Amino acid sequence: MKSISLYVDQDTFLTRLHSFSKLYYIVVAIIIPLIGGSLGLYGLCLGLSFCLIIAGRIVKRVLPLIAFSFTIILTVFLIHGLFNQENEQILFSLGPLIFYQEGLLYATKIGLNILNMLLAFAVFVLTTRPAVLVDDLEQAGFSPRFGYMISSVFQIIPQMMGTMNTIMDAQRSRGLETEGNLLVRTRAFIPLISPVVNSSLINTRERAIALEVRGFDSKQKKTFLQDHKLQREDKLFMAFMTILLIGSVIWRITTWL
Amino acid sequence: MALIEVKQLKYRYPHTEKLALDGIDFTVEKGEFIGVIGENKAGKSTLCQAFVGLVPSMFRGAYGGKLFVDGMEAGKTPVAELCRHVGLVFQNPFNQLSGAKETVFEEVAFGLQNLGIPRGEIIRRVEDNLARLDITEYRNRNPFDLSGGQTQRVAIASILAMEPQVIVLDEPTSQLDPQGSEEVFKVVEALKHTGITVLMVEHKMEKLAEYCDKILLMHEGKQIAYDTPEQIFSRDDLDKYGIQPPVYTRVSKTLNISKSEWENKEYPVTLSQIVELKEDFPKKLTGRTRLEYRGDEKQEELFDIQDLEFGYTSQKLVIQNLSLQLSKNPTALIGQNGAGKTTLVKLLKGLLKPNSGRILLNGEDISGKSVAKLAGMVGYVFQNPDDQIFKTRVMDEVMVGPLHIGMSKEMATEKARWALEMVGMSHWEQENPYDLDLSERKMVAIASVIAMEPKVLILDEPTIAQDDRGRKVLGSIIKKLSENGVFVLAILHDMDFVAEYFDRVIVMAHGEVISDGPKESVFYEKESLTLARLEQPHMARLCEALDYEGIFLTVEDLKDKGRE
Repeated sequence: MKSISLYVDQDTFLTRLHSFSKLYYIVVAIIIPLIGGSLGLYGLCLGLSFCLIIAGRIVKRVLPLIAFSFTIILTVFLIHGLFNQENEQILFSLGPLIFYQEGLLYATKIGLNILNMLLAFAVFVLTTRPAVLVDDLEQAGFSPRFGYMISSVFQIIPQMMGTMNTIMDAQRSRGLETEGNLLVRTRAFIPLISPVVNSSLINTRERAIALEVRGFDSKQKKTFLQDHKLQREDKLFMAFMTILLIGSVIWRITTWL
Repeated sequence: MALIEVKQLKYRYPHTEKLALDGIDFTVEKGEFIGVIGENKAGKSTLCQAFVGLVPSMFRGAYGGKLFVDGMEAGKTPVAELCRHVGLVFQNPFNQLSGAKETVFEEVAFGLQNLGIPRGEIIRRVEDNLARLDITEYRNRNPFDLSGGQTQRVAIASILAMEPQVIVLDEPTSQLDPQGSEEVFKVVEALKHTGITVLMVEHKMEKLAEYCDKILLMHEGKQIAYDTPEQIFSRDDLDKYGIQPPVYTRVSKTLNISKSEWENKEYPVTLSQIVELKEDFPKKLTGRTRLEYRGDEKQEELFDIQDLEFGYTSQKLVIQNLSLQLSKNPTALIGQNGAGKTTLVKLLKGLLKPNSGRILLNGEDISGKSVAKLAGMVGYVFQNPDDQIFKTRVMDEVMVGPLHIGMSKEMATEKARWALEMVGMSHWEQENPYDLDLSERKMVAIASVIAMEPKVLILDEPTIAQDDRGRKVLGSIIKKLSENGVFVLAILHDMDFVAEYFDRVIVMAHGEVISDGPKESVFYEKESLTLARLEQPHMARLCEALDYEGIFLTVEDLKDKGRE
């Protein structure tokens, strides 16, 4: 089955790291530059993320994400460079387009923020098995129902996508034209939706029974197949991130003074 | 005290007037194997759900009487507690997966985790049951990637790991191919010797007769009888309850050979019982003398398939170098899953395009036509009716196809009525298809294709989920349409059904046709059947055990004995 999870299955420092360490990394990497307020801190966090991405051997998977984010960042640059309210200082012009310094500076900050968040999330998403995250959350006290909700999405959506193709074939077989212009194709879409929804509902009812007879509602404390305790590496990693965080706070205070 | 005691159990689903269970009353001793039979809607599944307490806790409704399992009252014990004592396995293998676990190992462990069993114990039980069901090699596979038979074994392992005293199997093989069913039946047979108490709902009477200590016969929610298989299958009124006894019993009845000559006649119900009575059977029978179809007859060709090749990926061909002519005789396509049967019919329907080779329909190449354009000519009923049903009224659903191919509204209504009558669903016209059960929805799907009056009707596994009555309706549809000049091509796993209603049989294995001809000859080509991992119809096997030399495919063939 084709997975919709972006997780890359390999054994690296990052995949071994506890999911909470990586979640903590996201938080810290995003707020350091916001607290510190200097462009250089963006550089620091981006650099850190890059190091982790290289160490985690996920560069190939990250590149398309970056390429995609550049289309958004470019738009931000155009809009703010040209039209930001505070634009005063002309920086350069391309034919009739005049770019202003203030807008571009603002756009740079937004762009760096987008890139920073994207990379920090990539570090987490590409190296964490969804099932492990759910397990960790449940061990930390989240309800199994909440956990089930997350993990079932990863199993059931791909299954629904598979059904979709069969349903399309079944409708074509009864003379529904699915090839042709946009109007024909749009009209062909409607008879596809309700079988998908309905068969999922039927499946859901049966699945509810399946869960019941497997003791899903049991009041017992659930057993976990693995203990996900914070390891020494996790503690070191989190301590290091905390130091950086405190550092950025001190930086901010000293620049104020 | 017996392990299971059912006392005057009554139950009515919410918003209905009829009792789904009406005075069920029986007891089961520890270690017994009990079969539950009856036509669709007899209340069998409801009874299964009562055993695990889902009726009434999950479905609500009115509940009366008592059901005790090992002294616990099922109606009053929470399902989460009862599931430690009673396990339930049902039809659809995929819907029994938790849907939250990525590997077979984790899937089997899921229930045990919920019950808070200590970790070491979980691992031991999972390992044991993976081995017991012979699925250890799939332990790290995603359960959704397995075949139906494999998934059903994962489901059974998941239940057995919870170590219940009673396991309830609700038609565990009805949605599986013969190999998958065989895999599951092997497990069921092994269970019989473990001392676990088994309750099994099943339409395959030959199997039940072999395994069961006792059989519960149900009809419209009522308990008709609870007795030994011999007693139950020897009854004269089974037809009334939509039950066809095992072929062994039918043969013995036809020839009037019974085990005991008392008032209460008992006929043999298994092959081994027949062999014991071999002396009483006639020494010689000739079997079927007329062929309904001869392969060499020159007939108008409908499909001409020339050097067909197809693969879903460029590396692996599913269909290789296949040439075949199809004329109007009802034709069955048989073979194991993965043999290329569904791929072949999808090519005939134009849903897939061949890599090379041509398919001519009435002399015209179909590759240039869109699926929708072919729809009026070639009808295809999918295996799962839920893939196509989208209207909220049966009548509207059946009219969709005719309207698509350009019939007027009046015409479409007329054709839809005719089609619904043919599948025996006329009185359901105004119903919502989703309120019907699976076998009925399948009939609606068939009607919705027949209503388009195609010249070719392709059926993919029509007998799945049908009881004896449904099978007879299907048989009559095939006969009627063939008489009207429609070519019926069906993918089937049920050899007895093929032997009864089809003329020509095509055996496929690994994307190739390995045998093709009249059923009278194909079913006796043992080498190709073995190669395709198929079995002869029960009747043929039975008559071979009795050393009869003629061709026997159905019980009717015995009646030819006087015609020589």
